[in-house]
Amino acid sequence: MSVETEGAMLVRIQAEDFSVDEEINRVRARSTRIGGISTFLGIVRDRSKGRDVRLLTFEHYEGMAQKKLREIRERALQDFDVIEVLVLHRFGAIDIGENVVLIVVGAEHRADAFKACEWCIDELKQITPIWKLEETPEGEVWVEEHP
Amino acid sequence: MLTIKLFGMVKMLAQQQKELSLDLPSGQTVKLLVEFLNAEYPDIGDLILKKKVLVSVNQEIAHPDTVINGEDEIALLPPFAGGA
Repeated sequence: MSVETEGAMLVRIQAEDFSVDEEINRVRARSTRIGGISTFLGIVRDRSKGRDVRLLTFEHYEGMAQKKLREIRERALQDFDVIEVLVLHRFGAIDIGENVVLIVVGAEHRADAFKACEWCIDELKQITPIWKLEETPEGEVWVEEHP
Repeated sequence: MLTIKLFGMVKMLAQQQKELSLDLPSGQTVKLLVEFLNAEYPDIGDLILKKKVLVSVNQEIAHPDTVINGEDEIALLPPFAGGA
């Protein structure tokens, strides 16, 4: 696989579900110097601010969302002592319990992997143009804030 | 004619239109764009003035004094809610 194609695989926004194992292996295969991999997997929960949730639908700004995820990966590689970073987010309707977002960070040592992984998901929430529609028994609600 | 992309609750406020067209002369600022929007879509304009909704120009967050040209890609961005 060319460097460009592999780079594109490391930052993705897609409707389809993903395999956490496959994505971890994608990062693992990048370098034999990696000694630790940390992951954050976000999944759909059935409760939000005291309301029952039946389904989540994610909408994204095509182009800008990918651009911001690429920036997050590049800044994490620059600012932390890590070897590889993968950032993946789904869009469309996603059922309770299903995968939404995945961050995978490979580093020589665990401390850097943990720190970079937490920074990536926090930053994703702050700067990426992705929106979430909750379907509740009372109707549909666009989520305005998140912790 | 400028085309403005809409998402999430802003799209909902515009009766599910994905885009709005505004007759704004080229070379004007985001501040004027917001004034034009506020005149035609006060619900949306109000959210921008309260800084709950951001304006982006060419996929970067814009400021009131950012200048808009004819070919620029404009969008209105409600509060982000990515992640799980």
